[in-house]
Amino acid sequence: MKKIWIIIKREYLQHVRTKTFVIVTVLGPILMIGITVIPALLMISSKGEKSTLAVVDGTREIQSDFAAKLSEFKMGDGSPKYTLAEIAPSADSAAQKLELGRSVMAGTYTGYVYIPADVLTGGTAEYASRHTSDLDKIKVLNQALNSVVVGKRLKTEGLDPAKIAEYTRPVRLDTIKVSEKGQERDTGGSFIVTFVMVMILYMTMVIYGSMILRGVLEEKTNRVVEIVLSSLRPFQLMMGKILGIALVGLTQYAIWASFGFLVSQYGGSIIGAIAPAAKSSGFAIASIPFYVFIYFIVFFLLGFFLFAALYAAVGSAVNNEKEAQQMAFPVTMCLIIPIMIMQYVIKSPNSSASVILSLIPFFAPILMLQRITIIMPPVAQVAGSIGLLIITTVGMIWLAGKIYRVGILMTGKKPSLPEILKWIRYK
Amino acid sequence: MYAVEMEHITKKFGDFVAVKDLSLKIPRGAMFGLLGPNGAGKTTSIRMMLNIIIPDSGTVAVLGKALDETTKPKIGYLPEDRGLYPKMKVGEVLEFFAEIKGVARSIAPKSIDRWLAKFELSEWKNKKVEQLSKGMQQKIQFIVTVVHDPDLIILDEPFGGLDPINTKLVKDVMLELRAEGKTIIFSTHRMEQVEMICDDICLINRGEAVLQGRLHEIKRQYGKNTILLDYEGTIAFLQGSPEIEKIDDYGRSAEIRLKEKADAQEVLKRLTGRVRVNKFEIQEPSLNTIFIEKVGRSEQ
Repeated sequence: MKKIWIIIKREYLQHVRTKTFVIVTVLGPILMIGITVIPALLMISSKGEKSTLAVVDGTREIQSDFAAKLSEFKMGDGSPKYTLAEIAPSADSAAQKLELGRSVMAGTYTGYVYIPADVLTGGTAEYASRHTSDLDKIKVLNQALNSVVVGKRLKTEGLDPAKIAEYTRPVRLDTIKVSEKGQERDTGGSFIVTFVMVMILYMTMVIYGSMILRGVLEEKTNRVVEIVLSSLRPFQLMMGKILGIALVGLTQYAIWASFGFLVSQYGGSIIGAIAPAAKSSGFAIASIPFYVFIYFIVFFLLGFFLFAALYAAVGSAVNNEKEAQQMAFPVTMCLIIPIMIMQYVIKSPNSSASVILSLIPFFAPILMLQRITIIMPPVAQVAGSIGLLIITTVGMIWLAGKIYRVGILMTGKKPSLPEILKWIRYK
Repeated sequence: MYAVEMEHITKKFGDFVAVKDLSLKIPRGAMFGLLGPNGAGKTTSIRMMLNIIIPDSGTVAVLGKALDETTKPKIGYLPEDRGLYPKMKVGEVLEFFAEIKGVARSIAPKSIDRWLAKFELSEWKNKKVEQLSKGMQQKIQFIVTVVHDPDLIILDEPFGGLDPINTKLVKDVMLELRAEGKTIIFSTHRMEQVEMICDDICLINRGEAVLQGRLHEIKRQYGKNTILLDYEGTIAFLQGSPEIEKIDDYGRSAEIRLKEKADAQEVLKRLTGRVRVNKFEIQEPSLNTIFIEKVGRSEQ
């Protein structure tokens, strides 16, 4: 035990002291904020740019209503966002469009809207601009034009547009999550929490798995393995490495978690100050039951050690990182498959396919956890999957130890699977 | 009492027999040379002494019993394939290896400093291993082997890659350690080193021991039937002389094996006047000759 501890200590200090660790740990949260918060802030706070549009109204009765609709849109300082210039339609529409196009190119207008004379009976309007990628603006123009044209059509039929709007008002469908705690409104927040938990699990296993893979390879490529093995058992070295790297991961998460805590305490008010809209977006999260977090930790630990053992076995069997990438592929597949079938499990968490898949130990950490977060499966299934997972994890660590013991001393050609299976049977 | 006792050890890798029915008795306090051409099974035998590889059959006893965790701290091992953690500082690496060998943290630094001073590496203690030259790294590796004051020291090709000055330094340290009563086992295929420092040898070829025992006894068995000659000129004319069994001609020196009961003086007579003789010594054959002969014979 003392020797495992020495290995753990070395492994831990080696990783924690690297520049990569410091950079990733410090920059990680900053990057996360950068990626998620800044675009959101930009979206919320941006009011876009002012547009000067030329409007050719073939019907001569839409322009004024259209302008009225667009005048509702204002810039941050209260000035109108859209300035319209009415242009009388000419007989030769093609020539007029060409002429307008030239003005747009010259910068006189941001773009032009061409409303044909037959727009009320089904004609197609056109919006032309130098760039047509501002989907928000196109949507605004389209909606404004639509409501004006539809209103005109209704009036022609003698109907009151206000009444019609009243009659055709869409019905709102609220989603309510029913649980032991009663009923709560949920606009997708609990799905996001599920997703985040599963992703943390997945990313951890992939990132730290490959770290273990490289770590195990270290003794081999540095050729220190024989000296180490003349001092302790291969199993001690393997467990020391796995635990050491697990501790590195925990350290990183602890730093991030405390950072996240600070953000959640004070971040809200910062974001709120910059963008009041974010606060009132009506985003509701059903509260997560405490047992979900317990299961999260159980599946997290079991999954971590299962895949750590798998990656350690692979690392010991190969000679270099290139071979490691190839040999690790089946292991990585065991992580990717559940992510791929996640969508299916979300839709039908209690179908027999979901039940069977979530019982398979290699998929269980991700899929069973996901089922738990969606709707608590029968206790027997959860207990069964945890039981199977424990047996598999212990068995895998034992098996990896066997492969490791032989593999760590092997150099030269890449072993085939039958050869590795033979190693397991070695005394 | 033996430091290492191997009995009827056999190890196969697939169809390849690496070691075949090898029995070795290495007395305590000996300077023991494990000789053999490349691929003879020296490293495999050493790895089996250390329980790094487990033999298919036979038994190994180290320091009086089957190797277990309590014995490991008493052994120092310098593998042939050796390396260090390149990103660690020299002092840290030595501390790490001392610790996994069970040296108390209170004693380790003293031993480390003493050895670094001996190898003139004290000022490198806080440098990273990767900053050291290859020769320096090899000396650090040697320190790793002995830093925990082991009773049994096993060195696989200890002089490989060392320059003459460092070779002498390592050789002197080995002799010092033996004087302290340690058992030293080392493998090599360089005969002149063995001849200089070994008490006992075992010559392995193709996984089998072909010659084993005290070095001076082995040499005596061959008798004083060899002429060591230093000369100027050419001695090709000696070929076919009735009293000569075999000539190993190196150009300026030669080793001439005599036939049984032949008189060395006859050879001297043939030489006089035709070449300039700088040395003419009647000796036991060199280990090199014995080696080549033994290995060559078992090859047929």
